[in-house]
Amino acid sequence: MHGLLPFLGSRLLRAAVALWLVSTVVFVVMRLSGDPVPLLLPPDAPRSEIFRVRAELGLDRPLPVQYVVFLGNALRGDFGRSIHFRQPAFRVVLGYLPATFELGLTAFVLAALVALPIGVVSAVRRNSPVDQVTMGLALVGQSAPTFFIGILLILVVSLKLGLLPTSGREDWRNLVLPALTLGAFAMASIARLTRSAVLEVLRADYIRTARAKGLSEALVVAKHTLKNAAVPIVTITGLQFGTLLGGAVVTETVFAWPGIGRLAIQSIYNRDYPVVQCTVFLSAVLFIVINFCIDLVYGLLDPRVRSS
Amino acid sequence: MAEMTRRDVLKIAAAGATAALQGVIPSPAHSQGTQKRELVVAQGGDVAQFDPHMSTSSNDIRISFNLFDNLTSRRPDGKLAPGLATEWKLQGQTTWVFKLRQGVKWHNGDPFSSADAKFSIERTYDPNTKMRVNTVFTTVDRIEAPDPATLIIHTKKPDPLLPARLGFYGGQIVPKKYLDAVGPDTFNQKPVGTGPVRFVSWTKDDRVLLEANPDYWGGRVDFDRLIVRALPEMAPRVAALLKGEVDLITQVPPDQGERVKANAGTLVSGALYGGLYVLAVNSKRPPLDNPLVKQALSLAIDRETIVKELWRGRGVVPSGPIAKGDNHFDASLPPLAYDPKEARERLRKAGYKNEEIVIETTAGYMAGDRPMAEAVQAMWRDAGVNAKVELVEYSVRAQKNRDKSFKGLWWSDPTSTLRDPDGMMWRLLGPGGPQDYWRHPEFDELGNAARFSVDEKFRADAYRKMTKLSLEHFPWIPVIQPYEDYGLQKHVEWTPDPLQQLEIRRFNFKFRRA
Repeated sequence: MHGLLPFLGSRLLRAAVALWLVSTVVFVVMRLSGDPVPLLLPPDAPRSEIFRVRAELGLDRPLPVQYVVFLGNALRGDFGRSIHFRQPAFRVVLGYLPATFELGLTAFVLAALVALPIGVVSAVRRNSPVDQVTMGLALVGQSAPTFFIGILLILVVSLKLGLLPTSGREDWRNLVLPALTLGAFAMASIARLTRSAVLEVLRADYIRTARAKGLSEALVVAKHTLKNAAVPIVTITGLQFGTLLGGAVVTETVFAWPGIGRLAIQSIYNRDYPVVQCTVFLSAVLFIVINFCIDLVYGLLDPRVRSS
Repeated sequence: MAEMTRRDVLKIAAAGATAALQGVIPSPAHSQGTQKRELVVAQGGDVAQFDPHMSTSSNDIRISFNLFDNLTSRRPDGKLAPGLATEWKLQGQTTWVFKLRQGVKWHNGDPFSSADAKFSIERTYDPNTKMRVNTVFTTVDRIEAPDPATLIIHTKKPDPLLPARLGFYGGQIVPKKYLDAVGPDTFNQKPVGTGPVRFVSWTKDDRVLLEANPDYWGGRVDFDRLIVRALPEMAPRVAALLKGEVDLITQVPPDQGERVKANAGTLVSGALYGGLYVLAVNSKRPPLDNPLVKQALSLAIDRETIVKELWRGRGVVPSGPIAKGDNHFDASLPPLAYDPKEARERLRKAGYKNEEIVIETTAGYMAGDRPMAEAVQAMWRDAGVNAKVELVEYSVRAQKNRDKSFKGLWWSDPTSTLRDPDGMMWRLLGPGGPQDYWRHPEFDELGNAARFSVDEKFRADAYRKMTKLSLEHFPWIPVIQPYEDYGLQKHVEWTPDPLQQLEIRRFNFKFRRA
């Protein structure tokens, strides 16, 4: 275990640098792209009023000063007060997180549960009709825009077949369509990558050896193939969980799902700097944590990773 | 309101949605009567503020005008009716006396009195409260509440439109005692009003739950609960209506309206927008400083075609800078003319040298903004104008609006908040106003005199002359006065409001019972 501490240390350092870079980029981009004050006030607000509100929000100070204040506060977990909601930004974002987690986790579990078996079966039955149909569907899932899939599901499943509600967040029935929509891309990517990873391992010498030993095909796949194919599969699956957060922006808007994706979009439109910064910061933290977890799992799956 | 805050719909890829919605079979016919005790409304965005003095956004006022009452009430027919004030009269030139309704209770049981009214109006312009409606009552000098049933407002100069101001945003009356006790933040989260519905709960970005105020002075509303949902995308909003999940949806664009109409259980109901869609002009930039060029631009727009093709007939061609339905709208004026030949002639007379004329348009801030800009560009090119369309993001537009840095023309949807030219043309185009790009001594003199005159005949004459001047100089090139369409279940009897209020009081909303 002597390699673990430096491993953790270097990961944490990288994580900190990544967070700092992300916050800085968001800070600069938001301020370059527009001023929230004209959006807050009625169009006939006098100039004096605009200056008063700018001062009230601290936007009249030089950009470097604003940046230093922002960084100092962010280190203490204070992202400032939302301009739009007039509440601490952190509290606003936290309020939206449960809905996004619920949707993201459901989509993720759904994607993984469907995609992993499909990937394995397609690889084992390569070029069979099952393989061709599922991989064809995966291609569609990967290339169709989330927006399109979402609207299509609403029209067909909700409106035409009358099976599920069109939008909103009440009970599990409201969760099905958005989770399918959000999970579609991840599902397709995981299925395709699982298939190729399993195929690759199936061609390896030790599989031939296992077969030569007279092991049953089921045992070959379950014991010898899957474990060795696990590293790339874990990578893609973990990364897909991260991208689900990005996809949530569109899905949440289409299905009127009250999560941080929608919050982010609205806050960008409103130039609500503190909320955007806090949302992006938390998303970055989440992404980094996921990556970190993947790295740890690598270590468990493959001892070579730790020592290298 | 409209200028800055009607950005309710998030546009991510609405074009795809529209295309996808075509060709779905309408859901089975609904029965046209209902046993419903619950009204579900879907609008394009969530409520942001319950404190009525903190917002002018249409998503907020749809709720706040029902949680709260104003002293005067602007009805969907455009007329001003009694609200918390039962009558009012002008004494002399600057003193307005209001008789207040007696026996009205706040949702928490406290009695309403003139002290609340005085507190509410003063609160809007008190610099310490930092309210977002602080420009509404700038004409007020001081307010007296001599007894619980009387309110006296003194204006700095004669203000003929004070009762109208009291009827729109900023004029909602809030409870002094409750606000003093809980403070503005709690009030904003747990609002207490006198209106027909009272606050129950709010799930952010999902729904607001309100319930009927059983003791409402205007009669109990025709439902037990009101749910206002936020459905940002237009296609799912329409789908929710067609499926019968909601009773009423806002902002139905013309192409979707036909689908709603084709469905057996739903219909479209529209109000002529209390305002205009205009191309505002930066008259300081040559060649737009030349009135002849602007006349040519107006003459080269085929508005009939825009109304018919882009709006499927859901709009009217304006006749000038005053919206139909406003005070002093001149019904005898003809719709703005389309005459490309005359346009070429005026360009020639103006000595137009093919200078580039730019329309800066947003995409989706105003209904139809971008397609209309492209249509106008084509029409202008046909008339020999070197026209160009540039796309700007909404916040860039807001910034340009503030800095007055538009390159040429841009879309504006001025709202006639007082249903009077003073609250629209003069508020926006007057000296120091947000669209002050053109000055004319006579126009300024008339606008100023009409603002402070309580003689309606004098005002009518002034606005007639100002209309004439603006049709010569075109500080705005009016293009259309559209309908604002709503989708309804057929069991809903409701008249939409030109100023985007959601009037659900007894006199305006009924479920058709089975």
